[in-house]
Amino acid sequence: MDTTRRSSRLRTRTVLALSAALALSLTAACSSSSSGNGAANPAAAGSSAADALNTPTTLTFWTWVPSIQTTVNAFEKKYPNIKVNVVNAGQSAAEYTKLQTAIKAGSGAPDVAQIEYFALPQFALSKQVVDLTQYGAASLKSGYTASAWDQVALQGGIYGYPQDTGPLTMFYRTDIFKSLGLTAPTTWAEFAADAAKIHAADPTHYITSIDPGDAGGVDSLIWQAGGKPFQTTGSTSVNVNLKDSGSAKFSSMWTSLLSKKLVDPTPGWTTDWWKSMGSGKYAMWIAGAWAPGSLETTIANTKGKWGVAPVPQWTAGDNVSAENGGSSDAVVSTSTHKAAAAAFAAWLNSSAEGAASLNSIGLFPATTALLNSSTFLDQTFPFFNGQKANQVFAASSKAVAAGWQYLPYQVYANSIFKDSIGQAITNGSDLSAALGTWQTGISQYGTQQGFTVANG
Amino acid sequence: MLFVSPFLLAFAFAIAAPLLYAAYLSLFRQGLVGGNVFVGLDNYSRALSDALLHTGLIRVAIFLAVQVPVMLGMALLAALALDSGRLRWAALFRIGIFIPYAVPAVVAALMWGYIYGPRFGLVHQIGSDLSIPLPDLLSHSWMLASIGNITTWEYTGYNMLILYAALRSVPYELYEAAEVDGAGEIRKAVSIKIPALRQALLLCTIFSIIGSFQLFNEPNVLQALAPGVITTNYTPNMYAFNLAFNGQEYNYSAAIAVVLGGVTAVVAYAVQLWTNRQERAL
Repeated sequence: MDTTRRSSRLRTRTVLALSAALALSLTAACSSSSSGNGAANPAAAGSSAADALNTPTTLTFWTWVPSIQTTVNAFEKKYPNIKVNVVNAGQSAAEYTKLQTAIKAGSGAPDVAQIEYFALPQFALSKQVVDLTQYGAASLKSGYTASAWDQVALQGGIYGYPQDTGPLTMFYRTDIFKSLGLTAPTTWAEFAADAAKIHAADPTHYITSIDPGDAGGVDSLIWQAGGKPFQTTGSTSVNVNLKDSGSAKFSSMWTSLLSKKLVDPTPGWTTDWWKSMGSGKYAMWIAGAWAPGSLETTIANTKGKWGVAPVPQWTAGDNVSAENGGSSDAVVSTSTHKAAAAAFAAWLNSSAEGAASLNSIGLFPATTALLNSSTFLDQTFPFFNGQKANQVFAASSKAVAAGWQYLPYQVYANSIFKDSIGQAITNGSDLSAALGTWQTGISQYGTQQGFTVANG
Repeated sequence: MLFVSPFLLAFAFAIAAPLLYAAYLSLFRQGLVGGNVFVGLDNYSRALSDALLHTGLIRVAIFLAVQVPVMLGMALLAALALDSGRLRWAALFRIGIFIPYAVPAVVAALMWGYIYGPRFGLVHQIGSDLSIPLPDLLSHSWMLASIGNITTWEYTGYNMLILYAALRSVPYELYEAAEVDGAGEIRKAVSIKIPALRQALLLCTIFSIIGSFQLFNEPNVLQALAPGVITTNYTPNMYAFNLAFNGQEYNYSAAIAVVLGGVTAVVAYAVQLWTNRQERAL
């Protein structure tokens, strides 16, 4: 099941150890508080937040970030009246199932829940999470990157605080490229040419693999190609167009590579796949900026052989990127302590202290103050042979194409990805036809659910 | 009445109530937009014309037709071998065949998934050591057979025990009489033991029919290794699961569950009728 694979990603990705010693040097993170208590306090976006934080309250927080207790402890130390119970209720779809059930049942749901960006619109639409505008969320907008904020500012409200992001990046084997006299591709045309050269030099080697079960990965590639296949056009109407120009760019290039067997159609995150990654079978991996931790821990033997570069461009000289993965923290509609829950979520993700702590436990930041800080940008990565990888990630974060949206039922849409695109990737058949099949499945489900679905 | 009431209570709460609730749910439709609506039998007519559901049903029917006879045949042979009394280390043999049943299905599927792995799996490592090219056991053409192998490994021992227990209840005098008539072990097996196993075999068959239609754990685990092969509607149960938990179509998936239960009951009943008729014909 998708969850198994995904959860292994999330587990590994959250073991990231990007940078440890950022915390206290960063102070200018956020809009200053109106409550006037010395330190910058994003939580106190109004007196109600300050009141809530001073009232003894116990909150429940569902998240699958393993070491997040560290950050929560810092919060509890600062606001001793609030006690936060951290609960791991499963990862991704497993958590959403429980969350939806608990909200429907009216009891057992947490106050704050981690929800990935692709799933947030669904919770927002059904009002299972709270519009944080009423708790002053709008004032925190300037603290976040535009690409992160765009993913929580939905349907006319603000339904979560960005917890981490995954700007798309190219991780490549410098040794392999060097041995073939190649440099890292800067355009997709160069990528395709290199794919042929790498496979010709050794028929068991490929430039990269493509995962037939990873809808998020393909979404990111379409996003980076300028596609906007999923649009919410009204409260009950959506537009699904997996034939737009971005989707077409994606499908024609990857169909060609797959049909010539120049990329390897293999599910990621399996033992087989990691062994191939470690053995040099794949010369690169295009993934979110959360990837370094997984690489460092799983294939430590390749330390120093990897480099980081921007994603190849469709037009030479352009600088366009996309997001891959990432989560928000949302306040659940059944919470009886919404003000305190909103203040906690705000502090966790917006405050300099919270953001730095999240980064230290392995999450790639969503706040601009951290992304622009010199401590962060100048950090060297031994795994990437001393490269200052955060500079590439931060640049990618700034270059994310605007206007991407997920459907208010993307969880289901992604689940049936493997039934169409997954099959085509595995068989090396026409991806454009498969995108059409996926579009039909997504549209039929939408109609069934009461949406007006257009395909324009 | 007093004595059956504990059973009736447990039955009402644990079996009847969930079934009735599923049947009740299946009469409504709750979309992400538009609230909860009574739709009568709409979900059932949708299920009857749902090609995705039919593909899954046909797949488990093929699985049933091939895997169950193979598994029960092996279980029967093992039970007869045990009962012949000619095996050395009989207890070890018995526990050895039974042990896979004690391994949880999810763990078994994970383990076999690693064994099947197309590049670094055990099967392929042995194959490449011996320079024998082997097919990808997780590909389209092999997947159902690979799943069948896992379930056979898991459940042969369980069925063997049922058959072996039935054999133990055959009166010993029958064998003595047969031996007096000059029958050997094979003759005894064919003329006494297998006819005596008729009811036990029927029981095993019905359990296996139910198990086949409910196929879920094994393909669900292997899906992570072969997402382009195992679709979300690979089996009817997987289809219902995805609709309910990723698609929130609880009502329609309740209807699918009811339909699946009905199909299973009909097939199991047909097998039972057929067996009884055979018996009468004898």
